[in-house]
Amino acid sequence: MRKILLGTTAVVSAAFGAAVVTPAAAQEAPTVRLGGSIQAYYGYIQQSGQQNDPGTNTLAPGVTGGGVGTTVNGTTAATQSYARLSKNDIITVPALNVQVNGKLANGLTYGGVIEIGFNSIEGRQIGQARASVGRGAAVVDEAYIFLAHPRFGQVRFGDEDGPLGGLMNSGWVTGFGTGGVFGVWENFQTRQAGNRTQTAPGGIGDSSKIVYLSPQFFGFDFGASYAPNYGVLGQTGCPNNVASGYCDRAYAYRGATSVAIPAAGPEFASRRGEYQVAARYRGTFAGVGVSATAGYLGSGVARDLTDANRQVRTLSGLNVWQVGAQASYQGLTVGAAYLVGDFNYFWGNSIRGDRSGEQVTFGASYTAGPITVGANAYSALVAGSSGFAFNSATGALTQSPRGMQRRWGMSVGGNYRLAPGLDLIAEYVHHSIRQQGVDLDSGRAGTQSRSFSDVFIVGSRLAF
Amino acid sequence: MIRTASALALVLLATGCGNSGRFVENEEYGTNNQRELILRQTGGSTRDAGFILFGTDRGRDAREGLAASGATGVSVNAYLWRASLETLSFMPLASADPAGGVIITDWYTPPTAGDERFKVTAYVLTRQLRSDGVRVQVFRQVQRNGQWVDAPATGSTGSELEDRVLSRARELRSQTAASGR
Repeated sequence: MRKILLGTTAVVSAAFGAAVVTPAAAQEAPTVRLGGSIQAYYGYIQQSGQQNDPGTNTLAPGVTGGGVGTTVNGTTAATQSYARLSKNDIITVPALNVQVNGKLANGLTYGGVIEIGFNSIEGRQIGQARASVGRGAAVVDEAYIFLAHPRFGQVRFGDEDGPLGGLMNSGWVTGFGTGGVFGVWENFQTRQAGNRTQTAPGGIGDSSKIVYLSPQFFGFDFGASYAPNYGVLGQTGCPNNVASGYCDRAYAYRGATSVAIPAAGPEFASRRGEYQVAARYRGTFAGVGVSATAGYLGSGVARDLTDANRQVRTLSGLNVWQVGAQASYQGLTVGAAYLVGDFNYFWGNSIRGDRSGEQVTFGASYTAGPITVGANAYSALVAGSSGFAFNSATGALTQSPRGMQRRWGMSVGGNYRLAPGLDLIAEYVHHSIRQQGVDLDSGRAGTQSRSFSDVFIVGSRLAF
Repeated sequence: MIRTASALALVLLATGCGNSGRFVENEEYGTNNQRELILRQTGGSTRDAGFILFGTDRGRDAREGLAASGATGVSVNAYLWRASLETLSFMPLASADPAGGVIITDWYTPPTAGDERFKVTAYVLTRQLRSDGVRVQVFRQVQRNGQWVDAPATGSTGSELEDRVLSRARELRSQTAASGR
């Protein structure tokens, strides 16, 4: 009890800058806590990309069925046979957490977090986006050590989100449902046309990095992070003696241009040297809580070695400015955020010469007693599918002129809290992608320049 | 690179100037950790939830201590607790029990009234942020013939302090809601 009291007093004294932190602090032995969460949802889904390629029961799963020359709607397809997807599904998203917290006599608090997910299908919002492993395989998502001092701030070292990757953002209103348009609806989607994974803070990925988070000065606090590359955890990703694109430290490799958008597969992307800086202000005006954040996300890129012995820089580095603000009064929260700069969807690098992208998001939520309701939406204009062609003989990069890709989505949802850590959820999400001249539904005849999805979700989630 | 250097310089400059920085708690940052998100949005606490594998369950210690004292067996509201500490911070603190929710100040003499002094006891009573969740008692003594003797405090002083605590607690809650997502 005495230790808790002294610890609390230390924090309070730090708020006034008094030099009593050291004598007032008391050492606490580390506490190791095991927790976790289980989410289970039913989804009713209507989406484009319905025509699938089911194979037959005489073939191994995943092998194309139907045979060559099948004609559908007057068009001869190469090897497809067709059947619609079911509109119903149930998903379960479990995770385990191990947390360590301790405190030294000099006031330094320390600890760490390991989050182990069991839902590592690609496209999930959390963790390393698009990692492809068995659905039920245990995969470490976040894993980092933190060291914090009341006066000097905090350092997080390991696999963790950056200041703009979710730690200090303002204006992204996701505190209702499962997060609305940035929530779990993506887990119900098939990959056709990539109708999911918006460019949201959690989608940047928690590449192995170092993060610094400052104390708060006059309402302002600051953060910065650096990740050498897109890779995570304890290996370089290099499976053999050739430094292919899977190698975290590969400076250049064949096909780098093709993974400007992080590819399906473990940590395969051209992003290198990612850094984030952010400044956040929080204050209260006449009872209204205000939070505003401005920040910058930058990166370098790997070069393309497709042309023998020539390292060609074909991509632009990430060059993204973000501002956002939100206000809370009583149970009401409203907010909006805006991104602009060199980026493509899924936080991908754009091809050199592509137009810059921009995205706006806004939302509101209201909590009254055990009930929370809310809505959010976003709209993005990005380069999308650039239609580039890379000449391996000359190294020349050519692009077919195309319109920009419009991605937008909206959601409404609500929660009913049954107990601390347990609630019921209902949520509806609509999402749409358009780009003229790009086939966004390869299962259908002709060029389908639009892709959409409607998802209605009910379910429950429990954290312990 | 110039942009990066400028931004980093800004951060270093901001963190280096002065020593009045306030420590930012982990709960004031956003998170993509599903467990933490759910606990935050459903009123749970990441410091109390889960199972202790190793070490001391300080949250449980606090709850059991509270139960042993005949109280409700739950921790008090964090906003009310912090608001009470901040509101009474102008007085010297004699003791503070965050598990029981009791703050007792030492005697305090206002600069403009040298012949009277005050002592305050604040009770944070509930886990919820409610208007009846805090009670403040004010004790007053006046100096007569060189001796401190008890005297009645103005009846409204306690309730005014309660109002200040509640107002500050609401502000803290709004700030936290604004910083969460």
